[in-house]
Amino acid sequence: METVIQIHQLSKSFKGVETVSKVNMNVKKGEIYGFLGPNGAGKTTIMKMILNLVKPTSGEIKILNQPISTTSYQYLSKIGSIIEYPEFYERLTAKENLELHCDYIGVYEKGAVEEALDIVGLKGVEHKKIHEFSLGMKQRLGIARAIVTKPEILILDEPINGLDPIGIKDIRELLILLKEEHGITILISSHIVSEVESIADTIGILHHGELLKEVRMEDIRKENMEYLEIKIDDVKKTIHVLENKLGIRKYEIVNQHCIRIFEHDISQSQINKELILNNIAVNGIEKQQQHLEGYFLNLINGGNQFA
Amino acid sequence: MLKLLRLEWKKNRMASYFKGLIICIVGILVAVVLMAVGSGDEQMFQDYTDFMSLTNILIRIVFIIFSSVILSRLVIDEYKNKTVQLLFTYPLKRKKVMLAKLSLVFGFCFFSIIIATLTINIAVYFLNPMMSLFETPVKIQGMIATIPSTFINTFMMAGVSLIPLYFGMRKKSTASTITSAVLIGFLINATVGDTSASLFQFIIVPIIMCLLGLMIGYLSYYKVDKVDLT
Repeated sequence: METVIQIHQLSKSFKGVETVSKVNMNVKKGEIYGFLGPNGAGKTTIMKMILNLVKPTSGEIKILNQPISTTSYQYLSKIGSIIEYPEFYERLTAKENLELHCDYIGVYEKGAVEEALDIVGLKGVEHKKIHEFSLGMKQRLGIARAIVTKPEILILDEPINGLDPIGIKDIRELLILLKEEHGITILISSHIVSEVESIADTIGILHHGELLKEVRMEDIRKENMEYLEIKIDDVKKTIHVLENKLGIRKYEIVNQHCIRIFEHDISQSQINKELILNNIAVNGIEKQQQHLEGYFLNLINGGNQFA
Repeated sequence: MLKLLRLEWKKNRMASYFKGLIICIVGILVAVVLMAVGSGDEQMFQDYTDFMSLTNILIRIVFIIFSSVILSRLVIDEYKNKTVQLLFTYPLKRKKVMLAKLSLVFGFCFFSIIIATLTINIAVYFLNPMMSLFETPVKIQGMIATIPSTFINTFMMAGVSLIPLYFGMRKKSTASTITSAVLIGFLINATVGDTSASLFQFIIVPIIMCLLGLMIGYLSYYKVDKVDLT
């Protein structure tokens, strides 16, 4: 598949402090790439570098196979974006803002503005001035602005900040629609893991400016995501049984009464039988799915130990 | 480039500033006419040159401040409100965007001073016979003779009008842009009278200030591709 955004060994320092260090990432055509990371991990900085608002200290960015230099600007016509909090010209109305945007990009398609406003559910307020808008409405308008010119790439930095649950659902559906029907490549960042999990095809996990991992969601789902959670009364004794009698090595002690087993080749009943035979009271045994959140937290915490 | 100028014009509703321009011109005219008429027997202005020296000072001060308002609206506000982040994600050469903005400020300052001077001259030509603003009657040739120097002076003021950009950009503040414009305006036009001349009359001072303004403008134009927008 064609790679739309290629980033190679990208670093950025502000006043000697490295906020992004040696990031490599590849965003493929027509996928939703979720950017995960705690606040201050460097998500926005990378997005700004893609948009040439921030100049990299070192490294290379290629958009649609074109390398970006400090003075590149033509490629920007193919990108729609929201960076941080969406800013508008407050004295103009919503519609005027969008029209101005189209004018600047050089897209003069009839009805595009109305269509975009309709998609984000802002019909009826288009003649209001921006300073009368709430945060959620601005966020919606920001998305309308990003999609109004029908770009090939969408770069959305925390697009669901300040939205109500219905708004979040609408945006989620909209992004999937844009991907599936228009083949738009979307790079989306968020610190709300579940949100990214539900729509992304690939995720990049960023921490302290480093890209800890770039994985496809499918692989995460496959790899180690299922586990058995057993509730017992005696952890020490259980471990002894697990290790010596069953040969299980991949497990995690959650607390004094709970253990998680990540190995799949031993069946639930086998474990259950062995524990009972060894006089361990089993209060519960259950198959569970680890969510991306757990995976994410594990990675970030693992990262902390090395830091 | 024309498109950029048009978009800036539209975006900032520049047309609405014409009302302000007209109010300023009328205000200046009324002020000097009242001074001339109000001074009664001991005439305040001897002749046309005398009259225009005060008028020109007022025009220059007023429009340098006015231009700084436009400057802060066009450039400083854009940075302050972070809309520049949006502006720079457009497929446009950033230098061109900056150039369009600065030319608008420069052009506004230039044309508003020219228009103001012209209108007031015409008004004086017709008003003087009726109201006797000064003793020596003014001849049309005398007025035409001032045109070249008016243009040169105006050009220099337009250059000076970019100096506040430096002060405004340091903290992205509208207030310091306008304050510095007020200070600069008064500084170089400060004194009027027979004995002391205003700084503006030493030709070297306005030239240096104009060059300084143009340089500040050029620097922000030159740097626009290099600076990070955080």
